[in-house]
Amino acid sequence: MNTSFDIWLWVSAFLTLCIFSFLYKDNPFYKFAEHLFVGASNGYLVTIIWHGSLWPQGIRPIFAEGNWWLIIALIIGMLYFTRFFPRTSWLVRIPIAIVMGYGTGAAIPATIQADIMRQIQGTVLTPQNFARWNAGSTGVIWTVLLFIGVTCTLSYFYFSREHKGVLGVTSRIGIVFIMIGFGAAFGYTVMARISLLIGRIQFLLGDWLGIIQ
Amino acid sequence: MKKRIPLLLVLIFGIAGIIPYYSQYPVVQNVQSFIRNDMIRIIAAFALVLGLGSLLKVHYDKIRRHRENWEYSWVLILSFVVTAIIGLFGGRTGGGMLPTSIGSFVFNIQVIYENVNVPLGSTMFALLAFFMASAAYRAFRARSLDATLLLVTAFIVMLGVLPLGNRISHHLPSFVQWIMDIPNVASKRGIGFGIALGSVATALKILLGIEQKWLGGTK
Amino acid sequence: MKGFEYLLKIDRRIIYLVIGVVVILPLIFPTVERVRVMAPAQSLFNAVDSIPEDKILMVDFDYDPQTMPENEPMAIALLRHAFQRRIKVAALSLYVQPLALALKALDQVTEEFNARAQTSADSIIYGRDYVLLGWQPPPIVPLLEMGISISNVYSTDYYGYRTDSLPVMQGIENFNDVGILVSISGGNAPLWWIGYSQVLYGVAVGAGLTAVSASDFYIYYQTGQFSGLMVGMKGAAEYEELVESRLRVPGERKASEAMPSLTAAHLAIMVFIVIGNIGYLMRRRT
Repeated sequence: MNTSFDIWLWVSAFLTLCIFSFLYKDNPFYKFAEHLFVGASNGYLVTIIWHGSLWPQGIRPIFAEGNWWLIIALIIGMLYFTRFFPRTSWLVRIPIAIVMGYGTGAAIPATIQADIMRQIQGTVLTPQNFARWNAGSTGVIWTVLLFIGVTCTLSYFYFSREHKGVLGVTSRIGIVFIMIGFGAAFGYTVMARISLLIGRIQFLLGDWLGIIQ
Repeated sequence: MKKRIPLLLVLIFGIAGIIPYYSQYPVVQNVQSFIRNDMIRIIAAFALVLGLGSLLKVHYDKIRRHRENWEYSWVLILSFVVTAIIGLFGGRTGGGMLPTSIGSFVFNIQVIYENVNVPLGSTMFALLAFFMASAAYRAFRARSLDATLLLVTAFIVMLGVLPLGNRISHHLPSFVQWIMDIPNVASKRGIGFGIALGSVATALKILLGIEQKWLGGTK
Repeated sequence: MKGFEYLLKIDRRIIYLVIGVVVILPLIFPTVERVRVMAPAQSLFNAVDSIPEDKILMVDFDYDPQTMPENEPMAIALLRHAFQRRIKVAALSLYVQPLALALKALDQVTEEFNARAQTSADSIIYGRDYVLLGWQPPPIVPLLEMGISISNVYSTDYYGYRTDSLPVMQGIENFNDVGILVSISGGNAPLWWIGYSQVLYGVAVGAGLTAVSASDFYIYYQTGQFSGLMVGMKGAAEYEELVESRLRVPGERKASEAMPSLTAAHLAIMVFIVIGNIGYLMRRRT
């Protein structure tokens, strides 16, 4: 055992154990750590906003470099604070409209191209898709299976007609694919959650107590 | 006017966001650069500050009215003030006007982040491992054929992704890879089409002023 | 209570204790388990390895402490790969919180290399071999503007140096000069790089994902929108394996060391699920 005597490591270990204490029940140590987390995170946020954005992009270009037209953006940005004054709180909609409008507009062609068009291209039965699996002629089978899976999954989510007859069969096949997909997702989720725990245990046993090398 | 101006702005800037995908003319690129660099970048920084102000206001009210657990709000506000002062005046990695070391003991914002934020944030999510295990034991039941299929797939994936899976059978990891590449992709793509079409529809509704919830409650 | 009722009423604290023990013991009594490298991690490795000399590797650090155990080993393995092959690196973040973790990972790997370096040429030097560009809000700005000019977005780097004065950024104008952009993320950032930057400017994108996102992101790997993937801690272990076996870069392999614990925990959870189902089936029968 090679316990570290670095003050900060002991602080980290103490805070880690405060959070873990929640497993027994909610308690003052956990509440203290929880509030400390929110406060310290926001303190860091303020630091980076000032040093990384507000000062070099907003204030210095205007007052130190003479780019006076940027003052329009500064004024529009400050309209966010009208939210705290009921009589003028409607003005907060202006900066929201600008930022959200631009982002929403840019998202439309991005979604259509990346999430719809390219996905259709990856599904249809073309020689490029057959070759993508690097599996020779078996690639044709996998592409056909993928095509069937996608269309059957889509047919399951078509609720405008009763799932009977042909639609009943395809939606049943779709459910099979969906269940397999969710099963795979659950399996990976288990790995994800356990990984987070292992990371903390590696810190406590390795960096702090020096039990693991 | 209180509604019309924002709705008009959202439409104008929405169209501005769409244009670069369809036009590469230099004048268009220059206008886009102006909008992104000289407007949106500065405006968006204030949104983050606003979120901060709201948080502090909530906790200040909690202290003033002595609501439940009001004492912990002091912890939040004090830790915020201390870290903000150290960060703003001490610099991002030290070197600011406020000294951030006493001898070999360093306390700049980077060190505070690594030794306070990191353990707190990562441990909170580490708790999920325990809750997930407990929830899986209590709720994951093979009630039907479909649920059994889900369960069996989950077990195959959980075994196959690990080195143990390769020792059980050399084909198991390849089978798991096949599950991810074919049935998983098929189902997620089908679901993804629906989500993508829905989000495009919602985006268009926002730009055209049909969806107005973002305006908030006041008239 | 009937016998099988006990199977359905195991106290949650016993479950917590078992999970804790099966995670801790393999770490204290470690065993070596070589991971088998699968296609997604191999593809990403190959894509990074084949970056031309005049292009840069752009790394988007977009994970926060909540997903650090999965994402940080990916970042470290990727940086070891880049520095060993003397690939220039430009690091950035679309959000605030990951910036400190970017600095942590860069400092750690730089120290590893400099501890072994004999000459300045062997060393990893800031400004010559890598740059931390920093953070610019909102994310849409770097996503779209860097296709025109990187220095438009990041006129100064994280430390305040002018980016166009740094040797590492000489000849690096925009996305045309980026060999591949790897987004290491606990969320949806890799999808934004695909949807905005790749659609508009054609930049190659790879991703390091948490395992939670894996099943949703595979659809983009299948179409080739992602050049490669590292998925969860296993994906990080695979990349660590590639970096050590192909490039002989030594260093702590946190993800690989975690594999025995991960195995034990998975088996424990599977046992609990089976116990719960046995109790359920027996109750259904009576």
